Amino acid sequence: MNSRLAGILIASALVAVFPASAADLPAARLIVKPLLCVVDRDTPGCSMTFNIRWKSEAAAEYCLNDSAQKAPLRCWPSVSSGTHTEKRDVTEAFIYWLGAPDGTQRVAEIKIEVLRLDSADRRRERRNRHVWDVL
Amino acid sequence: MLASYMRTSRNVLKIAALWAVATLAHGQETAPGAEGVATGPTAAPIAMPPAPERHWRLGAAFGYGERSNPLIQSEDIPVIVDLDVAWFGKRWFFDNGDIGYTMFDGPRSTTSMVARLNSDRIFFGKTDTRYVNLTYVSGSPSAPAPPLLAPVEVEPPDRDYAIELGVESLLDGEWGAATLRAFHDVSGTHGGYELSAYYSRRFTAGRMSLEPTLGVSYKSAQLNDYYWGVHANEASAALPEYHAGAGFNFEGGLVANYYISRHLRLALSVNYERLADDIADSPLSEDDYVMAYFSGLAWTF
Repeated sequence: MNSRLAGILIASALVAVFPASAADLPAARLIVKPLLCVVDRDTPGCSMTFNIRWKSEAAAEYCLNDSAQKAPLRCWPSVSSGTHTEKRDVTEAFIYWLGAPDGTQRVAEIKIEVLRLDSADRRRERRNRHVWDVL
Repeated sequence: MLASYMRTSRNVLKIAALWAVATLAHGQETAPGAEGVATGPTAAPIAMPPAPERHWRLGAAFGYGERSNPLIQSEDIPVIVDLDVAWFGKRWFFDNGDIGYTMFDGPRSTTSMVARLNSDRIFFGKTDTRYVNLTYVSGSPSAPAPPLLAPVEVEPPDRDYAIELGVESLLDGEWGAATLRAFHDVSGTHGGYELSAYYSRRFTAGRMSLEPTLGVSYKSAQLNDYYWGVHANEASAALPEYHAGAGFNFEGGLVANYYISRHLRLALSVNYERLADDIADSPLSEDDYVMAYFSGLAWTF
Protein backbone atom coordinates (compact mmCIF):
# COMPACT_ATOMS: atom_id res chain seq x y z
CA MET A 1 0.00 0.00 0.00
CA ASN A 2 2.76 2.40 0.98
CA SER A 3 4.82 1.55 -2.07
CA ARG A 4 1.80 2.16 -4.33
CA LEU A 5 1.24 5.56 -2.75
CA ALA A 6 4.91 6.40 -3.18
CA GLY A 7 4.70 5.47 -6.85
CA ILE A 8 1.76 7.78 -7.41
CA LEU A 9 3.57 10.63 -5.67
CA ILE A 10 6.73 10.16 -7.73
CA ALA A 11 4.73 10.05 -10.95
CA SER A 12 2.87 13.22 -10.02
CA ALA A 13 6.14 14.93 -9.24
CA LEU A 14 7.61 13.96 -12.63
CA VAL A 15 4.59 15.33 -14.45
CA ALA A 16 4.93 18.57 -12.54
CA VAL A 17 8.67 18.87 -13.31
CA PHE A 18 8.40 17.88 -17.05
CA PRO A 19 5.02 19.21 -18.17
CA ALA A 20 5.96 19.37 -21.90
CA SER A 21 7.09 15.84 -22.52
CA ALA A 22 7.39 14.32 -26.03
CA ALA A 23 3.96 12.75 -25.67
CA ASP A 24 2.44 16.20 -25.76
CA LEU A 25 3.80 17.13 -29.17
CA PRO A 26 0.90 18.78 -31.05
CA ALA A 27 -0.52 17.01 -34.07
CA ALA A 28 0.74 18.22 -37.42
CA ARG A 29 -0.11 18.02 -41.09
CA LEU A 30 2.63 16.88 -43.46
CA ILE A 31 2.41 17.46 -47.21
CA VAL A 32 4.92 15.93 -49.62
CA LYS A 33 4.98 15.88 -53.38
CA PRO A 34 5.59 14.02 -55.56
CA LEU A 35 4.70 10.66 -54.05
CA LEU A 36 5.47 8.13 -56.75
CA CYS A 37 8.60 6.95 -58.49
CA VAL A 38 8.11 4.71 -61.55
CA VAL A 39 11.09 2.51 -62.35
CA ASP A 40 11.72 0.14 -65.21
CA ARG A 41 14.53 -1.93 -66.65
CA ASP A 42 16.02 1.11 -68.39
CA THR A 43 15.28 3.53 -65.56
CA PRO A 44 16.26 1.85 -62.29
CA GLY A 45 15.73 4.97 -60.20
CA CYS A 46 14.12 8.38 -60.11
CA SER A 47 15.86 11.68 -59.60
CA MET A 48 13.21 13.53 -57.64
CA THR A 49 12.86 16.91 -55.99
CA PHE A 50 10.60 16.66 -52.96
CA ASN A 51 8.70 19.67 -51.73
CA ILE A 52 7.84 19.10 -48.09
CA ARG A 53 5.55 21.29 -46.01
CA TRP A 54 4.17 20.84 -42.56
CA LYS A 55 1.89 22.74 -40.24
CA SER A 56 1.00 22.01 -36.63
CA GLU A 57 -1.73 23.07 -34.27
CA ALA A 58 0.73 24.79 -31.97
CA ALA A 59 4.35 25.83 -31.98
CA ALA A 60 6.80 23.18 -30.86
CA GLU A 61 10.14 21.71 -31.75
CA TYR A 62 9.78 19.34 -34.70
CA CYS A 63 12.22 17.34 -36.78
CA LEU A 64 11.77 15.97 -40.28
CA ASN A 65 13.10 12.44 -40.73
CA ASP A 66 13.11 9.73 -43.31
CA SER A 67 13.11 6.00 -42.81
CA ALA A 68 16.36 5.57 -44.74
CA GLN A 69 18.54 7.16 -42.05
CA LYS A 70 18.58 7.67 -38.32
CA ALA A 71 19.61 11.33 -38.13
CA PRO A 72 16.92 13.94 -38.80
CA LEU A 73 16.99 15.71 -42.15
CA ARG A 74 16.15 19.00 -40.55
CA CYS A 75 14.88 20.35 -37.24
CA TRP A 76 12.93 23.49 -36.50
CA PRO A 77 12.84 25.43 -33.22
CA SER A 78 9.56 26.34 -31.62
CA VAL A 79 7.47 27.02 -34.73
CA SER A 80 4.11 25.85 -36.09
CA SER A 81 5.02 25.37 -39.75
CA GLY A 82 7.96 24.67 -42.01
CA THR A 83 9.06 23.87 -45.52
CA HIS A 84 11.90 21.83 -46.87
CA THR A 85 13.08 20.96 -50.36
CA GLU A 86 15.21 17.95 -51.00
CA LYS A 87 16.59 16.43 -54.17
CA ARG A 88 17.42 12.75 -54.05
CA ASP A 89 17.70 9.64 -56.15
CA VAL A 90 15.02 7.13 -55.25
CA THR A 91 15.22 3.40 -55.87
CA GLU A 92 13.24 2.05 -52.93
CA ALA A 93 10.13 3.12 -51.08
CA PHE A 94 10.67 5.14 -47.91
CA ILE A 95 8.81 7.28 -45.41
CA TYR A 96 9.10 10.93 -44.53
CA TRP A 97 7.97 11.56 -41.00
CA LEU A 98 7.66 14.48 -38.65
CA GLY A 99 8.27 14.02 -34.98
CA ALA A 100 10.00 14.98 -31.79
CA PRO A 101 13.74 15.74 -31.90
CA ASP A 102 14.53 12.66 -29.85
CA GLY A 103 12.70 10.45 -32.36
CA THR A 104 10.33 9.04 -29.76
CA GLN A 105 7.14 10.21 -31.36
CA ARG A 106 5.82 10.63 -34.88
CA VAL A 107 3.04 13.09 -35.48
CA ALA A 108 2.71 12.62 -39.24
CA GLU A 109 4.23 10.49 -41.98
CA ILE A 110 4.08 10.10 -45.75
CA LYS A 111 5.18 7.10 -47.78
CA ILE A 112 7.04 7.64 -51.03
CA GLU A 113 6.20 4.66 -53.20
CA VAL A 114 8.19 2.99 -55.93
CA LEU A 115 6.34 1.22 -58.72
CA ARG A 116 8.36 -1.33 -60.66
CA LEU A 117 7.10 -1.92 -64.17
CA ASP A 118 9.52 -4.72 -64.94
CA SER A 119 9.30 -8.04 -63.22
CA ALA A 120 11.69 -10.82 -62.35
CA ASP A 121 9.04 -13.16 -63.73
CA ARG A 122 8.80 -12.33 -67.43
CA ARG A 123 5.57 -14.31 -67.73
CA ARG A 124 3.87 -11.40 -65.99
CA GLU A 125 4.64 -9.25 -69.00
CA ARG A 126 3.22 -11.58 -71.62
CA ARG A 127 0.40 -10.26 -73.71
CA ASN A 128 -2.35 -12.50 -74.90
CA ARG A 129 -4.58 -11.80 -77.81
CA HIS A 130 -8.04 -12.33 -76.47
CA VAL A 131 -10.48 -9.78 -77.65
CA TRP A 132 -11.02 -8.29 -74.22
CA ASP A 133 -7.32 -7.97 -73.61
CA VAL A 134 -6.68 -4.45 -74.79
CA LEU A 135 -4.05 -3.38 -72.30
CA MET B 1 -14.92 -0.07 -95.38
CA LEU B 2 -13.20 3.26 -95.81
CA ALA B 3 -15.97 5.01 -93.89
CA SER B 4 -15.67 2.48 -91.10
CA TYR B 5 -11.92 2.94 -90.99
CA MET B 6 -12.26 6.73 -90.95
CA ARG B 7 -14.86 6.56 -88.19
CA THR B 8 -12.64 4.34 -86.10
CA SER B 9 -9.64 6.58 -86.73
CA ARG B 10 -11.57 9.67 -85.67
CA ASN B 11 -12.69 7.98 -82.46
CA VAL B 12 -9.13 6.97 -81.72
CA LEU B 13 -7.89 10.50 -82.30
CA LYS B 14 -10.60 11.96 -80.05
CA ILE B 15 -9.76 9.59 -77.23
CA ALA B 16 -6.05 10.18 -77.69
CA ALA B 17 -6.59 13.93 -77.48
CA LEU B 18 -8.70 13.62 -74.33
CA TRP B 19 -6.17 11.30 -72.82
CA ALA B 20 -3.32 13.68 -73.61
CA VAL B 21 -5.19 16.60 -72.05
CA ALA B 22 -5.92 14.57 -68.96
CA THR B 23 -2.29 13.58 -68.73
CA LEU B 24 -1.08 17.16 -69.00
CA ALA B 25 -3.63 18.31 -66.45
CA HIS B 26 -2.30 15.74 -64.05
CA GLY B 27 1.17 17.17 -63.76
CA GLN B 28 3.53 15.27 -61.55
CA GLU B 29 4.16 18.21 -59.29
CA THR B 30 0.70 19.67 -58.97
CA ALA B 31 -1.89 16.96 -59.14
CA PRO B 32 -3.81 15.97 -56.01
CA GLY B 33 -2.81 12.37 -56.47
CA ALA B 34 0.84 13.35 -56.52
CA GLU B 35 0.72 14.95 -53.15
CA GLY B 36 0.75 13.28 -49.79
CA VAL B 37 -0.94 14.69 -46.74
CA ALA B 38 -0.73 13.10 -43.34
CA THR B 39 -1.97 14.22 -39.99
CA GLY B 40 -2.02 12.85 -36.50
CA PRO B 41 0.20 10.46 -34.63
CA THR B 42 1.17 7.29 -36.44
CA ALA B 43 3.22 4.28 -35.62
CA ALA B 44 4.29 2.70 -38.89
CA PRO B 45 7.47 0.65 -39.06
CA ILE B 46 10.57 2.37 -40.37
CA ALA B 47 11.90 -0.45 -42.51
CA MET B 48 10.58 -0.46 -46.08
CA PRO B 49 11.61 -3.73 -47.71
CA PRO B 50 10.42 -4.18 -51.31
CA ALA B 51 7.22 -6.18 -51.36
CA PRO B 52 7.57 -9.61 -52.95
CA GLU B 53 5.50 -10.21 -56.06
CA ARG B 54 2.21 -11.82 -55.24
CA HIS B 55 0.95 -14.91 -57.02
CA TRP B 56 -2.27 -13.19 -58.03
CA ARG B 57 -2.51 -10.24 -60.36
CA LEU B 58 -5.93 -8.69 -60.39
CA GLY B 59 -6.95 -5.56 -62.20
CA ALA B 60 -9.74 -3.86 -64.04
CA ALA B 61 -9.84 -1.09 -66.59
CA PHE B 62 -12.93 1.01 -67.19
CA GLY B 63 -13.29 3.21 -70.21
CA TYR B 64 -14.29 2.84 -73.79
CA GLY B 65 -12.85 1.01 -76.72
CA GLU B 66 -13.75 -1.07 -79.71
CA ARG B 67 -12.39 -3.91 -81.69
CA SER B 68 -13.54 -3.84 -85.29
CA ASN B 69 -15.07 -6.99 -86.68
CA PRO B 70 -14.03 -7.99 -90.20
CA LEU B 71 -16.84 -10.53 -90.48
CA ILE B 72 -19.73 -9.54 -92.73
CA GLN B 73 -22.98 -8.54 -91.07
CA SER B 74 -21.36 -8.29 -87.73
CA GLU B 75 -20.99 -5.57 -85.21
CA ASP B 76 -17.79 -4.14 -83.87
CA ILE B 77 -17.00 -5.41 -80.41
CA PRO B 78 -17.25 -2.76 -77.71
CA VAL B 79 -14.83 -2.91 -74.83
CA ILE B 80 -16.11 -1.14 -71.73
CA VAL B 81 -14.36 -3.16 -69.07
CA ASP B 82 -11.09 -4.99 -69.39
CA LEU B 83 -10.53 -7.42 -66.54
CA ASP B 84 -7.11 -8.77 -65.72
CA VAL B 85 -7.09 -12.02 -63.75
CA ALA B 86 -3.83 -13.91 -63.57
CA TRP B 87 -2.03 -16.26 -61.22
CA PHE B 88 1.64 -17.17 -61.44
CA GLY B 89 3.20 -20.07 -59.61
CA LYS B 90 6.68 -21.47 -59.89
CA ARG B 91 5.72 -23.62 -62.88
CA TRP B 92 2.00 -23.30 -63.51
CA PHE B 93 0.28 -20.10 -64.42
CA PHE B 94 -3.10 -18.82 -65.46
CA ASP B 95 -3.24 -15.62 -67.48
CA ASN B 96 -6.66 -14.39 -68.53
CA GLY B 97 -7.80 -17.69 -69.91
CA ASP B 98 -4.44 -19.08 -70.92
CA ILE B 99 -3.11 -21.96 -68.83
CA GLY B 100 0.60 -22.57 -68.90
CA TYR B 101 3.32 -24.76 -67.50
CA THR B 102 6.83 -23.33 -67.51
CA MET B 103 9.43 -25.80 -68.70
CA PHE B 104 12.46 -23.54 -68.76
CA ASP B 105 13.22 -20.27 -67.05
CA GLY B 106 16.63 -18.79 -67.67
CA PRO B 107 18.30 -15.40 -67.47
CA ARG B 108 17.41 -14.58 -71.07
CA SER B 109 14.25 -16.52 -71.81
CA THR B 110 11.29 -18.40 -70.41
CA THR B 111 9.62 -21.23 -72.29
CA SER B 112 6.23 -22.62 -71.40
CA MET B 113 3.61 -25.01 -72.68
CA VAL B 114 0.40 -23.05 -73.03
CA ALA B 115 -3.21 -24.00 -73.68
CA ARG B 116 -5.49 -21.29 -75.03
CA LEU B 117 -8.66 -20.63 -76.98
CA ASN B 118 -8.37 -19.52 -80.57
CA SER B 119 -9.01 -15.79 -80.92
CA ASP B 120 -10.68 -15.87 -84.36
CA ARG B 121 -13.89 -17.36 -82.97
CA ILE B 122 -14.75 -14.17 -81.11
CA PHE B 123 -15.64 -12.45 -84.38
CA PHE B 124 -18.48 -14.91 -84.95
CA GLY B 125 -20.29 -14.01 -81.77
CA LYS B 126 -22.23 -10.91 -82.83
CA THR B 127 -23.76 -11.60 -86.23
CA ASP B 128 -26.98 -10.55 -87.94
CA THR B 129 -29.05 -12.23 -90.61
CA ARG B 130 -29.72 -9.96 -93.58
CA TYR B 131 -31.44 -10.31 -96.89
CA VAL B 132 -29.78 -9.26 -100.12
CA ASN B 133 -31.02 -8.80 -103.68
CA LEU B 134 -29.00 -10.52 -106.35
CA THR B 135 -28.74 -8.82 -109.72
CA TYR B 136 -27.48 -9.66 -113.19
CA VAL B 137 -24.34 -7.90 -114.19
CA SER B 138 -25.73 -5.22 -116.46
CA GLY B 139 -24.04 -4.33 -119.73
CA SER B 140 -25.05 -0.71 -119.31
CA PRO B 141 -24.02 1.23 -116.24
CA SER B 142 -26.94 3.61 -116.72
CA ALA B 143 -29.51 0.86 -116.69
CA PRO B 144 -29.95 -0.75 -113.29
CA ALA B 145 -30.19 -4.48 -113.51
CA PRO B 146 -33.45 -6.08 -112.50
CA PRO B 147 -33.55 -8.33 -109.47
CA LEU B 148 -32.69 -11.88 -110.32
CA LEU B 149 -34.35 -13.56 -107.44
CA ALA B 150 -36.29 -12.83 -104.33
CA PRO B 151 -34.15 -11.51 -101.49
CA VAL B 152 -31.77 -14.19 -100.28
CA GLU B 153 -31.06 -14.80 -96.65
CA VAL B 154 -27.39 -14.33 -95.81
CA GLU B 155 -26.32 -15.48 -92.41
CA PRO B 156 -22.69 -15.66 -91.34
CA PRO B 157 -21.96 -19.27 -90.43
CA ASP B 158 -21.33 -20.49 -86.93
CA ARG B 159 -17.83 -21.34 -85.87
CA ASP B 160 -16.65 -23.14 -82.75
CA TYR B 161 -13.94 -22.28 -80.30
CA ALA B 162 -10.77 -24.27 -80.75
CA ILE B 163 -8.52 -25.30 -77.90
CA GLU B 164 -4.95 -24.84 -78.98
CA LEU B 165 -1.86 -26.20 -77.31
CA GLY B 166 1.57 -24.87 -77.98
CA VAL B 167 4.93 -23.60 -76.93
CA GLU B 168 5.66 -20.03 -76.02
CA SER B 169 9.07 -18.47 -75.48
CA LEU B 170 9.52 -15.08 -73.91
CA LEU B 171 12.85 -13.38 -74.42
CA ASP B 172 14.07 -10.03 -73.20
CA GLY B 173 17.16 -7.91 -72.84
CA GLU B 174 18.31 -4.38 -73.30
CA TRP B 175 17.03 -4.57 -76.85
CA GLY B 176 13.43 -5.08 -75.73
CA ALA B 177 11.20 -8.13 -75.44
CA ALA B 178 10.13 -10.79 -77.90
CA THR B 179 7.50 -13.49 -77.87
CA LEU B 180 7.66 -16.59 -80.07
CA ARG B 181 4.66 -18.88 -80.23
CA ALA B 182 3.67 -22.07 -81.99
CA PHE B 183 0.18 -23.43 -81.40
CA HIS B 184 -1.76 -26.37 -82.79
CA ASP B 185 -5.42 -27.22 -82.49
CA VAL B 186 -5.92 -30.13 -80.11
CA SER B 187 -9.71 -30.02 -80.03
CA GLY B 188 -10.28 -31.25 -83.57
CA THR B 189 -12.01 -28.00 -84.48
CA HIS B 190 -9.88 -26.68 -87.31
CA GLY B 191 -6.89 -29.02 -87.21
CA GLY B 192 -4.48 -26.24 -88.12
CA TYR B 193 -1.69 -24.32 -86.50
CA GLU B 194 -0.39 -20.81 -85.94
CA LEU B 195 3.14 -19.48 -85.65
CA SER B 196 3.73 -15.98 -84.38
CA ALA B 197 6.45 -13.58 -83.32
CA TYR B 198 6.12 -10.26 -81.53
CA TYR B 199 8.57 -7.59 -80.57
CA SER B 200 7.99 -4.81 -78.11
CA ARG B 201 9.99 -2.29 -76.20
CA ARG B 202 8.82 -0.17 -73.31
CA PHE B 203 10.05 3.38 -72.86
CA THR B 204 9.55 4.93 -69.44
CA ALA B 205 9.97 8.58 -68.55
CA GLY B 206 8.66 9.95 -65.28
CA ARG B 207 5.19 8.56 -64.76
CA MET B 208 4.64 7.80 -68.43
CA SER B 209 5.39 4.58 -70.25
CA LEU B 210 5.03 3.89 -73.95
CA GLU B 211 5.26 0.43 -75.42
CA PRO B 212 5.11 -0.04 -79.19
CA THR B 213 4.63 -3.57 -80.48
CA LEU B 214 5.17 -5.19 -83.86
CA GLY B 215 4.02 -8.68 -84.68
CA VAL B 216 3.55 -11.20 -87.41
CA SER B 217 1.59 -14.43 -87.35
CA TYR B 218 1.33 -17.23 -89.86
CA LYS B 219 -1.91 -19.17 -89.88
CA SER B 220 -2.19 -22.47 -91.66
CA ALA B 221 -4.67 -23.18 -94.42
CA GLN B 222 -6.72 -25.44 -92.14
CA LEU B 223 -7.10 -22.74 -89.54
CA ASN B 224 -7.94 -19.97 -91.99
CA ASP B 225 -10.27 -22.16 -94.00
CA TYR B 226 -12.23 -23.32 -90.98
CA TYR B 227 -12.93 -19.78 -89.78
CA TRP B 228 -12.90 -17.77 -93.01
CA GLY B 229 -13.76 -20.26 -95.72
CA VAL B 230 -17.28 -20.75 -97.01
CA HIS B 231 -17.77 -24.48 -96.80
CA ALA B 232 -19.73 -26.42 -99.39
CA ASN B 233 -22.72 -26.91 -97.11
CA GLU B 234 -22.81 -23.17 -96.37
CA ALA B 235 -22.51 -21.91 -99.94
CA SER B 236 -25.37 -20.10 -101.59
CA ALA B 237 -25.92 -17.70 -104.46
CA ALA B 238 -25.12 -14.85 -102.12
CA LEU B 239 -22.26 -16.58 -100.35
CA PRO B 240 -20.17 -18.55 -102.85
CA GLU B 241 -17.99 -21.40 -101.75
CA TYR B 242 -14.52 -20.23 -100.81
CA HIS B 243 -11.40 -21.93 -99.53
CA ALA B 244 -8.97 -19.81 -97.55
CA GLY B 245 -5.32 -20.68 -97.72
CA ALA B 246 -2.47 -20.02 -95.34
CA GLY B 247 -1.15 -16.53 -94.87
CA PHE B 248 0.53 -13.94 -92.75
CA ASN B 249 -1.18 -11.37 -90.54
CA PHE B 250 0.85 -8.30 -89.60
CA GLU B 251 0.13 -6.05 -86.67
CA GLY B 252 1.38 -2.99 -84.89
CA GLY B 253 0.26 -1.45 -81.66
CA LEU B 254 0.98 1.04 -78.96
CA VAL B 255 0.18 0.90 -75.27
CA ALA B 256 0.60 4.06 -73.23
CA ASN B 257 0.20 4.36 -69.49
CA TYR B 258 0.32 7.34 -67.20
CA TYR B 259 0.64 6.27 -63.57
CA ILE B 260 -1.44 8.40 -61.23
CA SER B 261 -0.58 6.25 -58.24
CA ARG B 262 0.87 2.84 -57.55
CA HIS B 263 -2.49 1.25 -58.32
CA LEU B 264 -4.22 3.65 -60.69
CA ARG B 265 -3.23 4.65 -64.19
CA LEU B 266 -4.60 6.24 -67.30
CA ALA B 267 -4.32 3.73 -70.11
CA LEU B 268 -4.47 4.02 -73.86
CA SER B 269 -4.12 1.14 -76.26
CA VAL B 270 -4.25 1.10 -80.06
CA ASN B 271 -3.69 -1.93 -82.25
CA TYR B 272 -3.95 -2.48 -85.99
CA GLU B 273 -3.81 -5.90 -87.59
CA ARG B 274 -3.61 -6.41 -91.35
CA LEU B 275 -5.29 -9.67 -92.26
CA ALA B 276 -3.78 -12.15 -94.66
CA ASP B 277 -5.00 -11.86 -98.24
CA ASP B 278 -6.70 -15.23 -98.03
CA ILE B 279 -8.78 -13.98 -95.09
CA ALA B 280 -9.43 -10.56 -96.58
CA ASP B 281 -10.57 -12.05 -99.90
CA SER B 282 -13.11 -14.32 -98.24
CA PRO B 283 -16.80 -13.63 -98.89
CA LEU B 284 -17.09 -13.68 -95.09
CA SER B 285 -14.76 -10.69 -94.72
CA GLU B 286 -15.77 -7.14 -95.32
CA ASP B 287 -12.55 -5.61 -93.99
CA ASP B 288 -8.94 -6.54 -94.49
CA TYR B 289 -7.94 -5.33 -91.06
CA VAL B 290 -8.84 -5.42 -87.38
CA MET B 291 -8.53 -2.17 -85.53
CA ALA B 292 -8.74 -2.05 -81.76
CA TYR B 293 -8.45 0.78 -79.32
CA PHE B 294 -9.21 1.43 -75.70
CA SER B 295 -8.82 4.35 -73.35
CA GLY B 296 -9.70 4.45 -69.71
CA LEU B 297 -8.66 4.20 -66.12
CA ALA B 298 -7.00 0.99 -65.03
CA TRP B 299 -6.75 -0.21 -61.48
CA THR B 300 -4.31 -2.90 -60.38
CA PHE B 301 -4.96 -4.41 -56.99
